[in-house]
Amino acid sequence: MSGFFDTAPADLVATWVAAVATLAVLGSLVGERRLFSWSQHLLAGLATGFLALIALTDVIGPRLIEPIAADPAGRPELWLGVALAAVTAAAPWLPRPVAALPASLAIGTLAAFALGGAVLGTLLPQLDASIVRHGGSPAATVGGAVAAVITGLVLVGFLHGVPRGRLLTSAARAGRWLLLVGIGGWLGFLLLSRLVLLVDRIGFLLGDWLGVGR
Amino acid sequence: MTDRARLLRWFGPALLVAALALGWILPTPDVLRLATPDPRAAGEMTAALDALPDEANVLVGFDPDLGTYAEVRPTVRALLADLLDRDAQLAFVSLTAEGRALAVSERSRLEREGVDPSVVRDLGFVAGAEAALVDLAAGLSDRYDGIVVVGGNDLGPRSWVEQVLPRASGVALLAVTPAILLPEVRPYLATGQVDAALITPGEGAAYRGGLELEGSALLESREPSVLAILIGMLAAVAMLGQALGARAVATLRGTRARDAE
Repeated sequence: MSGFFDTAPADLVATWVAAVATLAVLGSLVGERRLFSWSQHLLAGLATGFLALIALTDVIGPRLIEPIAADPAGRPELWLGVALAAVTAAAPWLPRPVAALPASLAIGTLAAFALGGAVLGTLLPQLDASIVRHGGSPAATVGGAVAAVITGLVLVGFLHGVPRGRLLTSAARAGRWLLLVGIGGWLGFLLLSRLVLLVDRIGFLLGDWLGVGR
Repeated sequence: MTDRARLLRWFGPALLVAALALGWILPTPDVLRLATPDPRAAGEMTAALDALPDEANVLVGFDPDLGTYAEVRPTVRALLADLLDRDAQLAFVSLTAEGRALAVSERSRLEREGVDPSVVRDLGFVAGAEAALVDLAAGLSDRYDGIVVVGGNDLGPRSWVEQVLPRASGVALLAVTPAILLPEVRPYLATGQVDAALITPGEGAAYRGGLELEGSALLESREPSVLAILIGMLAAVAMLGQALGARAVATLRGTRARDAE
């Protein structure tokens, strides 16, 4: 049981709304597309409304307006943020280099953090761990060697448009097959996740809504 | 489309849903167990929780996604119940809107079950993705003894390992994620960057089975139905077999037709 709803009248209404929405989605399995389409619109509308709500209550209010109101001169970085937001809003009427500034800053900053983190947090530690060390267990040595070979072959599989010999072509083909095997395994996990979700929804209808097995 | 195909298209999914519903209602036979026989992951999680100090301050990075939350929900609830049973102080933070919605639901559920709101603090939604994590990492090791990441969305354990751990060393990082993130999280477990993780449903079930919190209202009231999941898996395998069989038959017929010409 999901346990999201209690027995108060508001929770009862929420359970019924969730049950009807679940039935509408499951209805698409037997060809009822109109209700399914309405439920998609409902989801999109709710998601947009929720995003707007948390932007106001969790970001703009407590992290922008309140600090500025408390100390207008003490937080220059927030005024800079307001200026960038104003530039974004006025983008259609501004010269392109100025209008592109906020988006460029956001993308550049995120890319810098993401790339730096990937190198420091993933690439270097994983490279260090994959190095076969003297005195390590045979299983770890074999595992590290196999991982290195598979990684190399898959990377070769991504080579496009470069002159290739017979060996490189065979390696690239093997790399692509290994990639497909990996994607197959990943899709297996995805199937499991979606199946558990379907069983959970059926459990919600039977248990939370109809009270079977409660 | 022939009448048979139309009937199959209508009845097939309806039959599958009915079979899953039956599997959910019927008791799971003892021979079917969700818990993995390898207790390593559950043991590592328990050991990592044991290593936390008394009344530990734990930051809960709550960013599952709606599509996979059903898979991890029993384990997440069990882990939160376990932490609260150890008198931990939890602080929830989300970096995605989906995570925030689910965090609000879980926090209100905990409060409804009688948990003191002061021990499940709400740090809300923090905008800014990776940049927000960098901001969160400032002074984090002074304020928190451990981090629990509930993953599933874009900003899961990998983002915490990449952005927070280099800036807040010494803080234990625990994770609960859906099985789909297994290839992403396992390497961090091997390097010790993630102290413990419950990734597959089997690992989650093994951890839940080892808890001594019977009857706690904070736990999921019912374990996932293994019988229903097995029925679904068998149906998926049957559909895959049918598709491959149909393709093989079509190829064979094409070859024969070419030979006949």
